[in-house]
Amino acid sequence: MNLVKSALLLAKKDLFSEWKTKQVLVTQIIFASLVIVVFSFAFDPSNNMTKAVIPGIIWVIIVFAGILGLNRSIVSEQRNDTMYALLVAPMEPAGIYLGKFIANFTMIMIVETIAIPFLFLLFDFNMAGSIPYFILIIFVGSFGFVSIGTFLAALAGNSKSSEMLLPLLLFPIASPVLIGVTQATRIVLSDMSKLSSALAWTQMVTSYDVIFFVISLFLIDYVLEV
Amino acid sequence: MSMNLEQEKPLLPDSPLSKSKSAYLPKVLLGSTIITMLTSIYFIFLYAEEEKTMGAAQKIFYFHVSSAWVAFFAFFITCLFSILFLVKRQRIYDTYAYVSAEIGVVFTIIVLTTGPIWAKSAWNTWWVWEPRLITTLILFFLYIAYIMIRQMDGVWDKKARLASVFGIIGFVDVPIVFFAIRWWQTKLHPVVFGEGSDQSGGGIAPSMLAALLISILAFTILYAYLLNKGVTLENLKIKVEQYKEKLRMDIEN
Amino acid sequence: MTYQYMYAAYTVAWVVIFGYLFILDRKQSKLKKDIEFLKQLEK
Repeated sequence: MNLVKSALLLAKKDLFSEWKTKQVLVTQIIFASLVIVVFSFAFDPSNNMTKAVIPGIIWVIIVFAGILGLNRSIVSEQRNDTMYALLVAPMEPAGIYLGKFIANFTMIMIVETIAIPFLFLLFDFNMAGSIPYFILIIFVGSFGFVSIGTFLAALAGNSKSSEMLLPLLLFPIASPVLIGVTQATRIVLSDMSKLSSALAWTQMVTSYDVIFFVISLFLIDYVLEV
Repeated sequence: MSMNLEQEKPLLPDSPLSKSKSAYLPKVLLGSTIITMLTSIYFIFLYAEEEKTMGAAQKIFYFHVSSAWVAFFAFFITCLFSILFLVKRQRIYDTYAYVSAEIGVVFTIIVLTTGPIWAKSAWNTWWVWEPRLITTLILFFLYIAYIMIRQMDGVWDKKARLASVFGIIGFVDVPIVFFAIRWWQTKLHPVVFGEGSDQSGGGIAPSMLAALLISILAFTILYAYLLNKGVTLENLKIKVEQYKEKLRMDIEN
Repeated sequence: MTYQYMYAAYTVAWVVIFGYLFILDRKQSKLKKDIEFLKQLEK
């Protein structure tokens, strides 16, 4: 259990430093709000048709706000070469990955709990479906996106232009998650009669989560090599 | 994360510029590529019967499918050599993985251009959002990203390591992408082989099958030729770079 | 009727293949020039 312990320690450190500065979280939340405002220009909120694009907007917010934090979580370790300190510390690379993942996941969850109600409020969206299922799908989708995102951020962090490289690596790899999760969100938000189909999508995304989480844990050794 | 080792290691053979081995294999490969390619063209345009509903445009199918096969095969080879590199850590495996990915991208471009031309004639639209098309498009983006990792700054072994990791992840991703999209929306693409559960297979005449198999063979040999040529060039480039590095060291000392 | 599509597709395919061969060839001639230069330097 040394792995989990060191991971939790690292996550605690990351979250604590974030709590002190609130730099990334504030940026992410403001960014998410701005995306919502931009979407309100693009799709008239008073139009009933807009309801159809809400699931898409939710995931655009999560993806774009998430990518800000993902890149940041690795690059911030490089400014003072603290990445080397982490690598020589008596913990496995998998522990570093896990710690970073926990911190990123917590942060994206905070962003979502603020941004999504805000979106519903501004677009005057009446929930027709089930909230527990909605939360489950958001959770599963964010898990997949952040787990592969943290891994690829560690990979792209080796480049000087990591903030440009990361989206190019992440979007194609994460496309199954995004397909599955937007479909499931759409069903759960509007048409509960097709719940079984939404659950099938959720299962698909869950299996993606498991596959890529395990692969990341195995391959992170090669990414974080001194 | 090796950032302070920005110099190529000058491990040099005695005379790095001497010609290596006999150039026998490339000639054989080039010869058989030309022969099989000409045969496949004969089979496609003269031997295979014309499809009734689609007419001549159906003949695009042979090169389209062959390129798709070579692209997938090339990415499989990339994944294979990526794993080999991570296990054995020899530069030659990395070179194979890189060259194969590059060839794969070239053939993906052929797939992505011939596909819409066929689509325009058969379905009267350039592009449909259909599983195989989107998967190929995502495949294209994946390996563009792979090549972008190769263009990173830094020493070769860092780049090789990261690219290998991405090569493996990317290849694992491809079937998942395909099934996700297939599930998302399907139809339109004629299923020629195998039983599509919800799509009716179109079937294929024996003469067409012969033409297809020969063109797949021709493309595979072309792939082997390109791989061989690319790897030879890449090795030569590495040697020249190492030699230059050595000269620079000599001048400095 | 649909011959034009067939011609277009095959033209594109061949252009891409020969384009790639051409790029490889240019790479090769550049390397050859480099090697010749280095050989001169060695003497």
